[in-house]
Amino acid sequence: MGRRRHRVEGVARALPEAIAALSRSLPAGPSPEIFRRAKFDRPEAAPVLWQLLLRVLSPLGANDTLTDLAPEAQARVVKSALDSQGYPRSALVQFPEGSSQRSRELLLALSWLLARGPFLEQLLAQTRVQLGDQLPQCEYEALAIPGPLGPHVETESPMDLRLVEWLMGKLRFRWRRLISSQQEQCTLLSKIHLYTRGCHSQKNLDHLSVAETEMLRDPESSQQLLQALESENVRLGAALEWRQCELVFWQWMDTVLDACLSESPAVTSQPTVLPMVSEHGCGELELVKQELQALQEELREVAEPRRAAWEAQVGGLGQGPEWSTTRRALQEAVRQELAALQGSWEPSSDPTQPQRPHRLVRRKDESPGPQGLQAAEMIRTLSTQEAGLKKALHQLQSQCQQELARLAGALPGLIWIMVPGH
Amino acid sequence: MRINSFSVIHSLVFSTGPSLWLGMSIVTVQLGQCGNQIGFEVFDALFRDSHCSQGLCSKRENEAYQASCKERFFREEENGVPVARAVLVDMEPKVINQTLSRAARSGRWTYGQHACFCQRQGSGNNWAYGYSVHGPKHEESIMNLIQKEVEKCDSLSGFFIIMSMAGGTGSGLGAFVTQKLQDQYPSSLKMNQIIWPYGTGEVILQNYNSILTLSHLYRSSDALLIHENDAVHKICARRMNIKQISFRDLNQVLAHQLGSVFQPTYSEDGSFHYRRNPLGDLMEHLVPHPEFKMLSVRNIPQMSENSLAYSTFTWAGLLKHLRQMLISSAKMEEGIDWQVQPPSSGLPPLGKMSAHKDPHFNTSIANLVILRGKDVQSANVEGFKDPALYTSWLEPLHAFSTWKTQRAFGKYEKSAALVSNSQLLVKPLDVIVGKAWNMFASKTQFQKEEQMGVLAWALDVAMSLLAWDNSAACIPAIPLLTTMFITLEYLSSVLFSNMLHMSLSHCSLPMSPHLAVHPSFVLHLLTKYGFLSRHVIFDD
Repeated sequence: MGRRRHRVEGVARALPEAIAALSRSLPAGPSPEIFRRAKFDRPEAAPVLWQLLLRVLSPLGANDTLTDLAPEAQARVVKSALDSQGYPRSALVQFPEGSSQRSRELLLALSWLLARGPFLEQLLAQTRVQLGDQLPQCEYEALAIPGPLGPHVETESPMDLRLVEWLMGKLRFRWRRLISSQQEQCTLLSKIHLYTRGCHSQKNLDHLSVAETEMLRDPESSQQLLQALESENVRLGAALEWRQCELVFWQWMDTVLDACLSESPAVTSQPTVLPMVSEHGCGELELVKQELQALQEELREVAEPRRAAWEAQVGGLGQGPEWSTTRRALQEAVRQELAALQGSWEPSSDPTQPQRPHRLVRRKDESPGPQGLQAAEMIRTLSTQEAGLKKALHQLQSQCQQELARLAGALPGLIWIMVPGH
Repeated sequence: MRINSFSVIHSLVFSTGPSLWLGMSIVTVQLGQCGNQIGFEVFDALFRDSHCSQGLCSKRENEAYQASCKERFFREEENGVPVARAVLVDMEPKVINQTLSRAARSGRWTYGQHACFCQRQGSGNNWAYGYSVHGPKHEESIMNLIQKEVEKCDSLSGFFIIMSMAGGTGSGLGAFVTQKLQDQYPSSLKMNQIIWPYGTGEVILQNYNSILTLSHLYRSSDALLIHENDAVHKICARRMNIKQISFRDLNQVLAHQLGSVFQPTYSEDGSFHYRRNPLGDLMEHLVPHPEFKMLSVRNIPQMSENSLAYSTFTWAGLLKHLRQMLISSAKMEEGIDWQVQPPSSGLPPLGKMSAHKDPHFNTSIANLVILRGKDVQSANVEGFKDPALYTSWLEPLHAFSTWKTQRAFGKYEKSAALVSNSQLLVKPLDVIVGKAWNMFASKTQFQKEEQMGVLAWALDVAMSLLAWDNSAACIPAIPLLTTMFITLEYLSSVLFSNMLHMSLSHCSLPMSPHLAVHPSFVLHLLTKYGFLSRHVIFDD
């Protein structure tokens, strides 16, 4: 009896600590009391949790603009972000927006995000303090956390096509301005690196980064930097703590889920996905394997009749000696296409792809050192990716054109003259 | 915490505080006689305004204004004389030499030493000569010059291309250069300053040249800011009381208009910093739609600086006049038709026909009003936010914007400029296309050079059509001449359809990005103009 109570007490102590660690590691984390209130679906917990979800789901740097939104708009952004990540519970989405409702649902959403992947680690990586200069917008960073849609126009009625074209044009202009300002930033960075050559204490770095230069110029900013580093340390420590005692949290979340189910069984008709941490790998892998098998079956089913039909059409052609050169050329072409397809498929198995942020260093000599990455290689990788994406774009465009041609052909009396150049 | 924010980097490099965060630069390409003469006046007007002693604002602010203007249009050389960020191109040396010497004589600013390119040939007012002959031949030299000028910019916002539409060099070479700029600097913005010829102009081929220029520029440029010679001439005659109007007077009025648009203004966040990229902001506000790229500019007051001492202005009065100028398509501040009013939004009274819009009423897609001078914060622009002024598919919130600065422009204590994407150019365009069509259809009075020109033009246009999207290749079997004909029809239809959509925009017709031409109509036209029954042969 005593042992059990002791164990219960142990658990009872561990839970608040776990939650405290979690909230310390989150940006603007709420107090553990909020978590407790949310379990009982108390309204006062909801606004805090909305804000938290907004903060963790929004992309880098958008935080300032998003906190200015009205609560309804904030709720919309959060919901669309959750939706785009595949959040399965419809309870949050179904009910009308209101910032003082659904605190338990919000808690469930937060723990879903935490459970499904290295969410906390991604958040911490997003907000790390950078001492060196980073590449302006590396692709891997942008793909890591898909951002939600910004505040968008709600239209019940069909939108005028001209307005859509107007807005697309504005987007294009902003895109070009972004590129110009990135080019400008690169020029300026290059100047700073040139001017501060020989100033760095570390020989392999040789010149200062912007942050370091700013520290020299303005000692107050070094205080700010110190504070930022300290608070980052606190968060990292809290995250480590959390990782050690999170099992308690998940057990508690089970009780929250039970409370939810017991109250409104009709709502959650879909199976909710709140896996325990240990089950993480196996279930997903099974699913993926099944999907792959199904896909293979489909492909086989489609390929067989086509091949048979082609063979019937071709008959005995292509077998004689005069066809050997053509056949070789064809094989070569097919091989190249397959290689290209495969290349575009494999996302980041390329060893030159940076797995973590790299610092920009300007150097006279060629050797980047063991950890380093030459700019030329990086450029090559990005160029191949760009080529692949462009090819994909052309394919899509030609598909569209074929579709349009088909539609045009359907109306026999018309000649279509397309406006060029868009 | 992001320490390496943009302003920090900037201030590190330029050793100025973030408050003097300088703007992005614009490189100007001056093409042809017209382009070079106007270009000089523009730089001169900008320079004189930025060094104007009056300013009517604090010293610090004046310095910020000067610095911003200087960074945008000029650069520093060792001897301290500002050098215009410009490239001068012409096929004849005379005008360029005049321009260079005028700049050097003034002693205030100058052109770069190796910033000009000229030949000794001329273009004979022939668009095809400029586009297909001079362009490719001198492409490398011209683009190299531009590249050198671009390299001297710390950050490039975009290009001004100043050209006339009627001549050969400005129009043909201008279209060619714009296209090359599009290829080489895809992320930079391009605004063509186009001089619209007099309606009664002397160049016979000016209407062909104009149409070809406009259709090519529509594809490769981002914005076409049109300056009409007729309008500027009227301003000179009536408002400025100039007896013998020379090209110099016209150019100076034009330069004044351009300066009052592009001189520094405060940026959006109201923080009294000057706007970094007015070209980008202007384009984003006015021409994001790819089919509506033509802009016109109006300014007020239009009287000469010498008469200013006898007049005082209020913002209310200036804005009221400017608004009516917009609505009634007036070119000047005198003789405005005050009868034209926006369509009333109420129900039509019983017994009358449904409220029809006044045919003289000018519907706008988007407008930008720029205010400079004393008490500018008190100026009330509500009159421009009336939804009745705009098309049905764009709300005034998106369609209208204002730029302001306390600092006065030149000696004008209060002045306002309006850049408008509206129907102001519909009538002039109508005139040009109609004349070109008639000329082409009648094809009777050509001299031999003009026949050569027309052939070159026709071939060029036909080649462009055939180079278009292959799904338009339902017409591969049609011979070259009919293709040429369809092209002309198409060109004028595209331009017409823009006008059509602008004038019918209150009926919310959907805009289709392509045009369907019924083949029987084409055959009818071909028969009517006799192309089917005989070949037109141009011998060498």
